[in-house]
Parts: sequence; structure tokens; C-alpha cells
Amino acid sequence: MTTITILGDEVATATGEWADGRPLVEPDALSAAVGWTLKPEGLCRDDQCVLVGDGSAIKVGEKLDLAAVANAVDQPTVIDPDASVVVLGQPNATRQAALRDRQAPDFTLADLDGAARSLSDYAGKKRLLVAFSSW
Amino acid sequence: MVIAVAIDEAVDQVRELADGITYPVLMDPDHILTETYAISNVPAVVWIDEQGQIARPNASEFGSDMFSEFTGRTCQGHFDQIRAWVHDGVVPDDADSEIADLDEDEIAARLHFRLAAHLRRAGNEEGAARHFDAAAELAPLDFTVVRAAMPLRGESPFGEEFFKLLDEYQAAGSPFHGITPA
Repeated sequence: MTTITILGDEVATATGEWADGRPLVEPDALSAAVGWTLKPEGLCRDDQCVLVGDGSAIKVGEKLDLAAVANAVDQPTVIDPDASVVVLGQPNATRQAALRDRQAPDFTLADLDGAARSLSDYAGKKRLLVAFSSW
Repeated sequence: MVIAVAIDEAVDQVRELADGITYPVLMDPDHILTETYAISNVPAVVWIDEQGQIARPNASEFGSDMFSEFTGRTCQGHFDQIRAWVHDGVVPDDADSEIADLDEDEIAARLHFRLAAHLRRAGNEEGAARHFDAAAELAPLDFTVVRAAMPLRGESPFGEEFFKLLDEYQAAGSPFHGITPA
């Protein structure tokens, strides 16, 4: 067993193992790792469930493949078995809703004093979102 | 109101740039915004209305005319457009421009960048270099991938590597996920 780091909205860790380059965890560790829970109806998060059939696409024995779970819920991943890291991207649907339906994705980031701020904190106002950098 | 997001982890340099600014300035060292809003260079300005709808998508707009010789765009035009939107709800003709989605390589490049930045912060320079390279290979003309990595790789974002990137970008027709200036 080893520690797998998951870089998602936050940095999470899970106890698991790498088998043939696949990041595997016990089902009860899934929720803390990626925010989705395996239930009889599928992979669920909040009030949303994604069907996974008999689960064979995401299971290796009794364990769950984190990258396959991400794939099932349409979140892109990059994995590095040597560093024992899984990068869990934002749901593709979030970006597609921004581009197609013009729905501004919410996000939460730290301000310069380290306080968490969300776009939705300023709902009800016209907002000018300015991405900039020092580079 | 303005919400500024630094696609950056150099908090001290961002603090200098933000000196005297009263609106929120947020740090996005993991480039979450470039993934969810399909941003490929900075500055990128997005207009968001009271209901959370995007009133005008990603556009390359500057807060000063420091680069206008280079961009062919002055800030006054954008300021006037913002004023018309805030006061009268009028949006410019280009507001319904469609922004191309990121392709799979561009998405993967962002995740490799995120991993590289994480490994670098954890002291794993070799792993970081490997993933910065992978990111640049997947999205070689994306400034948020290639140029943003320069200071993290000990290179100058205003040096030789930058001008090489700029040449290649312009030779490819300046591909940008956003409204291109008329």
C-alpha cells in the first residue's frame, strides 16, 4: 500500500496501490479522494448520479481505479505512477457550459491574504473577470 | 466590479502589481481558471452579468496602452464598452463570438502543468521538468502553459524563450481562445 496524492479542487490523499500503472483505492476511500461515492445506482455526488453498469469499467477486483472513475464522470486525468499522483481535472461539462450556454463557472480561490473567495460571493452584480499574471 | 485572478504562483510579484488596488485579487497557481474558461493567454477579460451569465467571453484587453503598439488595441475602447454595458446594458457586436473549446491535448497540457507546479513546490525538480515538457509538447503555443512555466523553470518570461514562443505563435496565425481584435 502507498499514498496516492490527488490534485483536484483541493489536494487530497488516499491510501491505495498502483497496479499496472493504475491508481487503485478501496471503495470507502473514493469519496474523500475524488468527491464521488459508489452507490448501487452508480457514482454519485450531491444529487447527481452517473450510471456505471456492473462497475467492471472502474473496478479491479474489489478496488476502484481512480482514473477510470474520473473518466466515467467525464473529468480528465493525468497520472504519474512514479510520483504517485493523480491530477483530476475540472468536469468537461463545466467548461462546455461556459462556452456554449454562457454559464460562468463558479470557482473558489484564495485572495492575497489567503481568504477563500468565490465568483458567486459577488452574485447579483456585473462582474469583470480579469485573468492576468506577472509573467 | 472587477475580480482579478492571477494565473500565477508568485504571490509577492502579484502583490506588487496589485498595490493600491481595492477590488479582490485572487491567486490561481494551479490554473483552474484556464481550464474552466478555456483561457490560453493573459490578459483575458470575461464579462459576467448579474445572473452569472457570460455577457462577453474571453477577450484580450489591457488596462493601459503600454502594449497597444503591439496589440493594435487601446484600452479606451474597452473602457467605453464597459461603461455602456454597466449603464445601459449594451454589449458590443463581438459579445456573441463563439470561443473554441479546448481540445484534449490542451486539457492534458493544463493537467501536466498543474502536476509539474505541484512537484516543483514539493522539491521534485526532475518530475516537474518532465511534466512541464509534456505540457509544452501538448500545447506548444499556449502562453498559460509555456510562458507561465518559464519563471518556474528558471527562465525569463521576457527573455529568449519568450521571443521564440512569440515568433512561433505569430507564424501559426496567433491562435487564441477568445475574441480576436477586429
